[in-house]
Amino acid sequence: MSDDLDTGAENTWCTGCGNFGILAAVKKAVKKLEENGLSKENLVISTGIGCHGKIFDYLNLSGIYSLHGREVASAEGIKLGNPKLKVVAFGGDGDCYGEGLAHLLFAAKRNMDITVIVHNNGAYALTTGQASPTSPKGFKGPATPKGSVERPIEPLTLLLSAGATFVARGYAGRVDHLSKLIVEGVKHPGFAHIDVLQPSVVFTDYYDEYNELVKKLEEPEETISKAMQLAIKTDVLPIGIFYREEAPVYHEELMGDMNPVKDRYKREKRIELIEDMLGVE
Amino acid sequence: MGSKDDLKAMDEDLFTVIIGGQAGQGVKKAGEAVSKFFLEKGRYVFEMDDYQSLIRGGHNFASVSSSTEELFSHHMGADVVVNLDKTSYEMHKEDLTPDGLNFYNSDEIENGDGIGLPLTSMSKEFQRPKLILGVAGISILAAVVGEDKDSLVSLVNSVYPRGKEDNTAFSEMVYDEVVDKVESTLDLKEGDCRNRMFPGNHVIAMGAASAGLDIYFAYPMTPASSILHFYASHGDKLGVTAVHPESEIAVANMAIGATIAGARSMVGTSGGGFALMAEAFSLAGMVESPVLFVLSSRPGPATGVPTYTEQGDLGFALHQGHGDFPRIVASPGDMEEAFYLTADMLSLLWKYQTPGIVLTEKHLSESSMCMDVDPSKVRTVEPRMHEEDTGYKRYLFTEDGVSPLKFPPSKEAIKWNGEEHDEYGITTSRSEEIAAMHEKRHKKEVVIIEDLKDRHTVNVYGSGENVIFTYGSTTLSVREALRCSGIEAKVVQPIYLKPLPTWELKKHVNDRSIVVEQSVAQQFSTLLEDKIGLEPTSVIKRYDGRPFDPMELAEKIEEAIK
Repeated sequence: MSDDLDTGAENTWCTGCGNFGILAAVKKAVKKLEENGLSKENLVISTGIGCHGKIFDYLNLSGIYSLHGREVASAEGIKLGNPKLKVVAFGGDGDCYGEGLAHLLFAAKRNMDITVIVHNNGAYALTTGQASPTSPKGFKGPATPKGSVERPIEPLTLLLSAGATFVARGYAGRVDHLSKLIVEGVKHPGFAHIDVLQPSVVFTDYYDEYNELVKKLEEPEETISKAMQLAIKTDVLPIGIFYREEAPVYHEELMGDMNPVKDRYKREKRIELIEDMLGVE
Repeated sequence: MGSKDDLKAMDEDLFTVIIGGQAGQGVKKAGEAVSKFFLEKGRYVFEMDDYQSLIRGGHNFASVSSSTEELFSHHMGADVVVNLDKTSYEMHKEDLTPDGLNFYNSDEIENGDGIGLPLTSMSKEFQRPKLILGVAGISILAAVVGEDKDSLVSLVNSVYPRGKEDNTAFSEMVYDEVVDKVESTLDLKEGDCRNRMFPGNHVIAMGAASAGLDIYFAYPMTPASSILHFYASHGDKLGVTAVHPESEIAVANMAIGATIAGARSMVGTSGGGFALMAEAFSLAGMVESPVLFVLSSRPGPATGVPTYTEQGDLGFALHQGHGDFPRIVASPGDMEEAFYLTADMLSLLWKYQTPGIVLTEKHLSESSMCMDVDPSKVRTVEPRMHEEDTGYKRYLFTEDGVSPLKFPPSKEAIKWNGEEHDEYGITTSRSEEIAAMHEKRHKKEVVIIEDLKDRHTVNVYGSGENVIFTYGSTTLSVREALRCSGIEAKVVQPIYLKPLPTWELKKHVNDRSIVVEQSVAQQFSTLLEDKIGLEPTSVIKRYDGRPFDPMELAEKIEEAIK
């Protein structure tokens, strides 16, 4: 299947990997956004390092294949450079909830107008299956042969505490639903976080469990605390938008409607201003 | 104090004031007032602020030197020393020229050497008695050089706009007390200097703004923080956005992100913060992002000594980041050079799409001196752009290794890749592609060297058989040492440190060469030995966090070249 979002790069994800569902949902979302008037020319992506990061090579979109854990910081830089762009950062759970957690929480805290999609498979898959920040206690991997002694973190409650203004959970096995979440996330003016349950067929093949437990949410919760209650549920796994609110976005608070690359002063003006500052006669 | 006699012999008009006290007593502001006083007399000024990493207490001092001739450093031999507290009195007893006047706070010291003034009791009747103490500095100086009281009051009011009435009254009180106690006034000649003075960090900031900087990212770290503060205060006016994110790691990665959007980005930090930027620096090399890094050194390793100066990060700057990729490292030798060089660096990096470093030290970053620059002389080079709508390859192979840039929004994808990649920017591990892309980036290194060969890359001051190699802010100390001692020597200062302009430097190598630097491991000397085979007869080093005192340095140079 080839389309204008394909790069032609060879796909090296394992057959059946949840990443395929995410890639399909992203492509669907981009088409939908284009129908809604957001040209993909204005869409820029960043990725971290891990299995999720390969999506950079598979999407014919501008952006940066960044460092492990730094995709959120990269995305913020792109947004600040040209606030007219819509920026989506793709991260993994090891990458976004481990190595780069501070960037994620601060992007939420400052309500940076970007969308973060976390391919949360509960393992460091590309490095042969070590326990990740979201792996359950007792998780066995090459670095925890007797089972992980650490408890997992629950990402959505973290993001809600940090001040994220759009918090959602999707499932790689529900492509249409996930694509709608992505459309909503990108359209959301402010920081949008989408945690995606993503089975890894080799290390964390949770398809059966997820298929049984996921339950679509009708409406976002009205308060952060209710959204948090929902996020920690384990008897069912709610998917959908947990919480959404509108709040001032960082770049507008910082720069107003100024756009660093569009409203750049001409050389003569800069020189004049500096001359003035230096007191050059 | 022989050296200070020599000094007087060489520049009759040199006049230095040292004001010392605790943090919170307005020492820095007092230094500023003295500088302004000298400037208004048409004199050249150099101000060095010595302060500790604390908010209240401790010992701070400002040394302000001035002359009717252009000067390049503060001096530690002062004509007037003002000690606001006891610690200052004890520390600066030796910092006097033979005819120098020592003023101390007689409320804290009984029967000290010099002239005692009951500063604490005099300040008691005012609203902010501690903060007002600093006003004594300029008031004493004005009385000592026979300035009239009205001029003093107007200067005090312009430097200290808050609490004018109190400041005026206290200032007059101190002035009268000094006139009573000092028999004759010291001579202070007026000069014809029309320049203003600026701290090095502001000059760096203005240089980058002149060359079209769009965004400055930084996490506070002394001695680089005042660049951030400058853009935060003046950025709106200049069209430069200042961003202070959660960490230096965020800083560097955001700056790279901003270049992808087409914004000219700069970051600033000191050694510890720069260490956190190592991986991103390497990323900038790989994705070919032209981020300009300002590294303002303080003594290391680790947290080191936050508010002092050193040149122990040279090797770090030259080797920052893992893997092979080109970078440009340059270090300014004075304020004017800091202005033009920062501007040039921004343009050079965009021309060659690779990261680079302006390496400086606390001594230049936070000292202020008179300077004369013309922003219209700043050269800006527009980067090579891909103007068509089709056929874009981010890493297109070209003769010089420089691929045209394109920024979003774009019909074609622009893929910047931190993994090894093909011309489109798609990840690869194919052997021939890895080698080809390595060669592409390496070509830029060769081209940068050719470019630098057409530029002014080495400063040479003075002449003579004796050659002094130095760099960065130490150049200021060396130039002032020679100016005031009359020692004949040629000073050779490479502005660029990577690529090192060996073609220029080699011309000056002889068997009467010495090196002056501020690193115990003599990193600069070792670099010159490696690159140009320099075998210096002597390496003069200082590594106690303080810049050289020019006259002490002159003695050492004299000894070394005997």
